[in-house]
Formats: sequence, C-alpha cells, structure tokens
Amino acid sequence: MEKRKKDIELDEIVAKYRPVVSFRVKKSIGVQTPDWEDVVNEIMINVVEKLKKGEFRGDSSIGTFIYTITSRRIIDFIRKKSKVLKHAPEPNPYLSPQEHVENTERARWIADSIKKLKPKYKEVLYLYYYQELSREEVAKKLKISPRRVSERVNYAQKLLRKVMKE
Amino acid sequence: MKKCNYENMIDDYLFDRLDDKQKEIFEEHYFNCPLCYERLEERSEMIAVIKTQGSEIFRDVYAPARTRRTLLEPVLAFLTPRQWAVAAVSAALILVVAIGIIPNLKTGSPEFFINDDLVRGSSITLISPVIDNLNQVPSEFRWQALGENTEYKLFIYHEEDLIWSTTTTDNSVTLSEDIKDLMAPGKKYSWQVKAFSPEGTLIAVSSRVQFNFVISQ
Repeated sequence: MEKRKKDIELDEIVAKYRPVVSFRVKKSIGVQTPDWEDVVNEIMINVVEKLKKGEFRGDSSIGTFIYTITSRRIIDFIRKKSKVLKHAPEPNPYLSPQEHVENTERARWIADSIKKLKPKYKEVLYLYYYQELSREEVAKKLKISPRRVSERVNYAQKLLRKVMKE
Repeated sequence: MKKCNYENMIDDYLFDRLDDKQKEIFEEHYFNCPLCYERLEERSEMIAVIKTQGSEIFRDVYAPARTRRTLLEPVLAFLTPRQWAVAAVSAALILVVAIGIIPNLKTGSPEFFINDDLVRGSSITLISPVIDNLNQVPSEFRWQALGENTEYKLFIYHEEDLIWSTTTTDNSVTLSEDIKDLMAPGKKYSWQVKAFSPEGTLIAVSSRVQFNFVISQ
C-alpha cells in the first residue's frame, strides 16, 4: 500500500517536472541538437532513481533538487560535446526552445492574433522582440517610459494568453 | 492577477542577456515557481512566432509614413513660429551653400549612407559590401574582427524588416543560395553586425549600411 502511494507520487513529480526539464535542456543545448530528448530522458530516470533511493532529504525544495540534477547533466553534455567540436555549442542570441513553430496551425493562429492587436502594442512587440532592441531603446524610440514598454508587452501577452490556452 | 518578482527576468533570460549568476538564480526559480514557468513558456512561444513570422506579422507596422508623423510632432512643438522663421532662413542659406558644393563631390560615387542611430559601446567597422549598386547579390559580408572569442550576429534587413540573421565566430559570412534568393534587384537592403562576448553580453554594434544591386547585363 505504502509502495503504491510512493509510485503515484513519483509519477506526479515526473509529469510535473518533465516539461520544465525539457525547456531548460532545449534552451541550453538547442532544439537543433537531436540528442536533447535523450538528455531529458536520462535526467528524468536519474531523478526517479535518486528519489527511490531516498537521496532527496528535503533540505531544499524538490524543484531545486531536480534543477541541480538537470544543470549537472547539461554541463556534462556540453563538456563532452566541446571535446569533440573544440568549440562549445554556440550560445545563440535568441534560440527558441519551442520546436516546429513555423508551420503549425497554432503558430499561424497566434500570428494572426498578434496581427489583430492595436498598433501601439504591435509596435512594441516589433521593436522589442523582432528587432531585439533593449527596453530603453524601445522607450526612447516611441517616446514612452521603459516601464510603459513592459506594461504594453505584458498586456499584449495577456490578450494572447487566451488564444494560446485554447 | 498574481505577480512574481522574477517575471521581469523572463525576456532577458530568453534573449541570453542575464549574467551567469542571474541566469542560475532564475533557472532555479522557475523550477520552483509554476507561475513563472507558465509565463516563461508563453513568452517563449510568442517570441518564437514573432521571430519566425515577423516580416509577415509586422508588414503594416513600420510604414515610413508612421515614423515620420510620430517624429515630426514633438519637433514642431519644440520651436515657436518666430523661431521657425529664423530656422527656415538659415536652412535655406545652408541649402544654397550645399547645392553649390554637392555637384563637386559627386564624382560618380555610389549612393550608400550610414545610419548610426543604434551605436552603443564600441563599434564595429564593416568592410564589405559598403558600396552601392553592386552588380549581383553580395555573397560575402565582411567586417573588422574585434579580437579572439567574439561572437558576431549578422542582420540583413529589407527596409525596416529583418529578413535574415545568423551567428558566427568568424569576421565574415558567405551567403548560401537560398538566402540570396530572399533578395531582389533594385530594392533597398541594409546590414548590421552585433558582437557578443563569450558570456553572451552585447559588446559592440556596427552602423547599419545600405546596399542594393542590379543584375548585370
């Protein structure tokens, strides 16, 4: 009985943290690296093993515990890779951890929703994300305060959230 | 709506603008904060869509007429009509002088110009192409190297739209055929290079240099 309860807990932890670990891995090694999925699997197996062995004693949160395992594995991966390639995998100025965004129905839908935003929001998204200007540069260009830039970005995001959740 | 203090780190994290320490702090945080993780995922998806479909999404945002209007209003309010009259006379004088000089300068030189409103920190000198009216799509972009271990990001724009960008540790980039196909003769393009330290910090930005090309007969 005790054992079954533990297994259910483990399943829940894996279900909850797998996306977080995947995000972190993809962000660090890139979705172009086909091994990213293997790395995630290894990390999750490692997490489950350590939890089963009772290595998590609760001196930090479970999130931090999994974060530490993830970070170590990523450092290992990059170290091995850089031995082979001489250069570490290049850190891209912007590398999306989201895959296949180009052609999915969902991506087109999100794009359409951005298109329908009011110009004052689109303008900010354009300069801040597409042109990659800093918040201060965007503020200067549009003659608004940097705080307002963030507000507009957040508001645009809020409007898009409804679309994304569906 | 619930807010978390770490939320304002999301963009800088996604664009690799945090230093190593901050990055670690934020990463550990989103392993512990479901709200931030959710926001991070959303933001990442939105940026990914913007990055991949931006030229289509923002086609109407940066029409030149718009920029002109927003720029002109504060300028007009800056001077009184009387001062404007003085300014107009001076401008006319300068124009007369300039018209006298310009023909002498025009020894068939190509019509490129440099727009340096974005220069921050040190700058990067662009080497080629900096002449206009090329007779084919430029296949190589070259700039002055800034020393070891620097990463460069090259941006190519059509008017205000980013059409392509890439990252390299070299001080030049050779375009592949499908990238060249993105460009058409007679249109206005520009390019710019940004340099990043190995930690991913922006250290230098070049001017934006315009170019165009015609197909040689």
